[in-house]
Amino acid sequence: MSAPATPAAPLGSSREVPRGKRPARDRSGTLVEFWLRSHTWLVYAFLYLPILVVVVFSFNSTSTRVTNWEGFSLRWYENVFTDKAIQRNLINSLTVGFFTAVISTVVGTMAALGIQRAPKWFRMPFDALTYVSLIVPEIVIALSTLVFFAVTIGRGGLVSTITGGPEIGLGYHTVVSALAVFNISLVLLLVQARLSNMDRTHIEASFDLYGTPWRTFWQITFPQLLPAIVAGFLLSFTFSFDDYIITSFVHGTNQTTIPLYVFSALRKGVTPATNAVAAVMLFVTLAILLVGQFLLSRQARRAGTAGAAGVAGMIVEQQGG
Amino acid sequence: MADQDLDSILRRMSQTQVNRRGFMAGGAMAGMAALVAACTGGSKATDAPASAAAPSTPPASAAASEMAAASVEPVFSQEPTEGHLWMYNWSDYIDPGNIKEFQKRYAVDDWTYDTYASNEELLTKLQAGAGGQWDVGAPTAEFTPALVQGGFIQKIDWSKVPNAKYIDKQFKGLWWDPKDEYQMPKDWGTTGIAVRTKYVTEDVSSWKNFFDVAPKYSGKIVIVDSPGDVFVAPLKALGYSLNSVDPTELSKARDLLMALAPHVLALDSDQYQKKLQTGEAVLGLTWTGGLDGLIQDPKTADTKYIIPSDGTLYWLDTWVIFANPPHPIAAHAFLNFIEEPAIQAQETITNAYATPNDEAKKLVPQKILDDPTIFVPQAIFDSGLLESAKDVSTDKNRVAIWKEFKSSIGKK
Amino acid sequence: MTARSSRRARLLTGVLLLPASLWYLLLLVAPIVIIVVFSFGNSGPTGGYAGGFTTDHYADLIANNIDPLITSLRLSVIGTVLCLLVGLPLAYYIATRAGRRKGLFIVLLVVPFWTSFLIRTYAWLTILGPEGLGGFIGGITGDDSFRILGTDWAVQLGLVYGYLPLMVFPLYVTLERMDRTLVEASKDLGAGRWATFRQITLPIALPGLITGSILVFIPMMGEYVIPNILGYGRVFTVGSSLVLTFLESRDWPGGSAQAVVLVAIMLVSVTFYVWFINRGRRGRDVSIL
Repeated sequence: MSAPATPAAPLGSSREVPRGKRPARDRSGTLVEFWLRSHTWLVYAFLYLPILVVVVFSFNSTSTRVTNWEGFSLRWYENVFTDKAIQRNLINSLTVGFFTAVISTVVGTMAALGIQRAPKWFRMPFDALTYVSLIVPEIVIALSTLVFFAVTIGRGGLVSTITGGPEIGLGYHTVVSALAVFNISLVLLLVQARLSNMDRTHIEASFDLYGTPWRTFWQITFPQLLPAIVAGFLLSFTFSFDDYIITSFVHGTNQTTIPLYVFSALRKGVTPATNAVAAVMLFVTLAILLVGQFLLSRQARRAGTAGAAGVAGMIVEQQGG
Repeated sequence: MADQDLDSILRRMSQTQVNRRGFMAGGAMAGMAALVAACTGGSKATDAPASAAAPSTPPASAAASEMAAASVEPVFSQEPTEGHLWMYNWSDYIDPGNIKEFQKRYAVDDWTYDTYASNEELLTKLQAGAGGQWDVGAPTAEFTPALVQGGFIQKIDWSKVPNAKYIDKQFKGLWWDPKDEYQMPKDWGTTGIAVRTKYVTEDVSSWKNFFDVAPKYSGKIVIVDSPGDVFVAPLKALGYSLNSVDPTELSKARDLLMALAPHVLALDSDQYQKKLQTGEAVLGLTWTGGLDGLIQDPKTADTKYIIPSDGTLYWLDTWVIFANPPHPIAAHAFLNFIEEPAIQAQETITNAYATPNDEAKKLVPQKILDDPTIFVPQAIFDSGLLESAKDVSTDKNRVAIWKEFKSSIGKK
Repeated sequence: MTARSSRRARLLTGVLLLPASLWYLLLLVAPIVIIVVFSFGNSGPTGGYAGGFTTDHYADLIANNIDPLITSLRLSVIGTVLCLLVGLPLAYYIATRAGRRKGLFIVLLVVPFWTSFLIRTYAWLTILGPEGLGGFIGGITGDDSFRILGTDWAVQLGLVYGYLPLMVFPLYVTLERMDRTLVEASKDLGAGRWATFRQITLPIALPGLITGSILVFIPMMGEYVIPNILGYGRVFTVGSSLVLTFLESRDWPGGSAQAVVLVAIMLVSVTFYVWFINRGRRGRDVSIL
């Protein structure tokens, strides 16, 4: 199929067919709608069921087996708020998650854009590496990356031998860079999937009109890529925030993250303490997200609804879309 | 009031799910709460020794702080520490009250606690190059030779750890560290048979019985996911050493294991207590962690932990100082601190594992000393029934058998 | 294009690709080279790597590792198909019916994953165990030994639960771009729902479908925590085997050989899969220059 003749709808809108205006013969329509709706709600229920269990039992006052309900209590939350170690772990998790997500999103998006124009001799091994980064099991990456770090930036490693300086050692930088590999590929694939559906005529048209790639990118390409970029950022954050094996192998002193703490703590049994930690982790990230959402939507409202579509919207209208 | 404290502490502590190999009691919370409650009564832990008299059978934490004051004062002069201690350990393996005490006494403001979840993970990471970042750790004894060989731990300067003299002689001069240069015993326990006698009426007092009885309870047997422990059962049932790497012996052990595999419900190191509690499993090859809770609970009071008569494994966790420690003075100070009898007694109470420190034992409540899941009766220890584990997990035959066993679980 | 702008184009392409290439080179290629080197070496007396050269580890592979591979394949294929069946309608709904709340739906999809993975999985133990659904169903059917946990189905559920967003996100980003007028036009022209779906919607969703199935299938192959917990340790996968080899027996060369072969097999399969699905589609590469 070649590129569609009609331009795509501007970002953010959805041209839904008003209900009731369907042709009469499409009686199966409402059935399908019902099914789509219920399927969606069922899936969300499925996704949130364990979360509900975790949160509910975090209020269990028992200090032993978490499913032995002994009464309502906030003591485990008190525990979380007074325990400096847990707070430190939470901050570590957030730091690692955030920086990995930012780096992966930027680098991955750039790569997705660049790969379109790359010559075949480059593209094939690069694609292969993208898949490989997803294929190699985490334990293998964790171990081999640690060895790599030890040999290069560790004590007596290449870097300190060559520069004669002190060893750099393990730290946030090693955790973030190790986690970024998988996530760069993740973002790359997401953005590529989005790109492959994109309308080339827009871009060429705007290029003729404006001339600089930079402007073309920001005004045309970027807004259309935004869902993929945001999706990539969210997924990268999620997977690095909650990573165990790689983090466990390449972290430095005092950089235990929540997953590491939980993994070790669960050996003594699932007490409400760990549930409370998980619940707090959830609330904190949710809060950050809501604040971010609020700020963004305020900004969007101020900028007007032309917003992200910007010049693209204007072009679409001019072409009779 | 002291007795009431003691009872509630014990009850709470015993209801925790404690696992072997240093996975700490959830009762650390309860223990800490109790300790704080007791301490706020007035006698805060002091650093000046007060009276030298130690009351007989003191109740637990209420008196622990007083004990700390009355404990033996280090006779050497403690150098000022570097102000930091970086620990790498199992999760929550030290009583929080003791941590605070240490920090206060030795002016250690910066205490970091990074965790690992298995000895293998620790060793693998060290082998891959992750060293130089921590001061003190607590691996299990049989890993000492590997750690020494890799240059990952250093010799302990015993002149800085005089309290080590309280350690029971039977833990010294053992094969893993014949000259006692590299490690200091921390706590110890056993691997054995856990059984819900309400459902299992047969006698399962030996590994041999265990294998004989297994088919009858097919699908209700839980086994810890640890090759070093699982091999104990067939090898001891056959009368061999649990560290055997002899191919013939291993082959016979394999047969026993493969006959057992179809009847196993789960390989589970973390939740075996839960499975025994709900009755999903009625028989198990387990550690002692969490069983106390089952025994105390009236609904599951029929639970028994048995040290098999054909012999079994005992494990010992040890304190080590990592090579190139960033803060060697603090590291040694900590080792000395933790062996102070009152401090060590508190560790035993909180962690529910047996201490090798004789002086500390005098301060541990009798109820705990009598609990066979925590303190193995001396008679059994002397009888030679217990064998210590060697690190034979790299033996190719063992690995192959373990893999085969794991793949055959539950498959008829 | 002028010579100057084509040079600039090449420069731009280079700049765009530089960070990712550097990352792959240092933190992917280098570690993999290390693993390959290990795979031909010997393990030390206490484990680890000790130099030397031998092909023994590869020779050993075939004998011992077919079963875990088959288990993993089975779990991953079924898991991917299930993710697709569950994820596609969901992605479609969000992309086309959720209107302005699309963003909210998408974020809500991933929020559950901001609690600890292990704790979520343990929650499933409670939900499906003898004190939950498993016991409930057992009670109704009178079957005393009925179990959900410890079976393939529990593992399958856990896998789908853990990887669903990786299927839904790519599908969503492709479907969201779909021009609804095409769907309407097709219906107006008399095509039924199914035909419309097959000829309009599906081809547009295809890139997302490919990406989604790759992002789900591949990591599922390496999974071992979920089979270990929800499968009661009875489900022995390739991932379990790798962890056993690397951590428990500290046989780095053996584990490395396993890893190399696994990566090779999967790389070939994935490349073939992508080529197969994409054949016949004309290249839709978009240039931004």
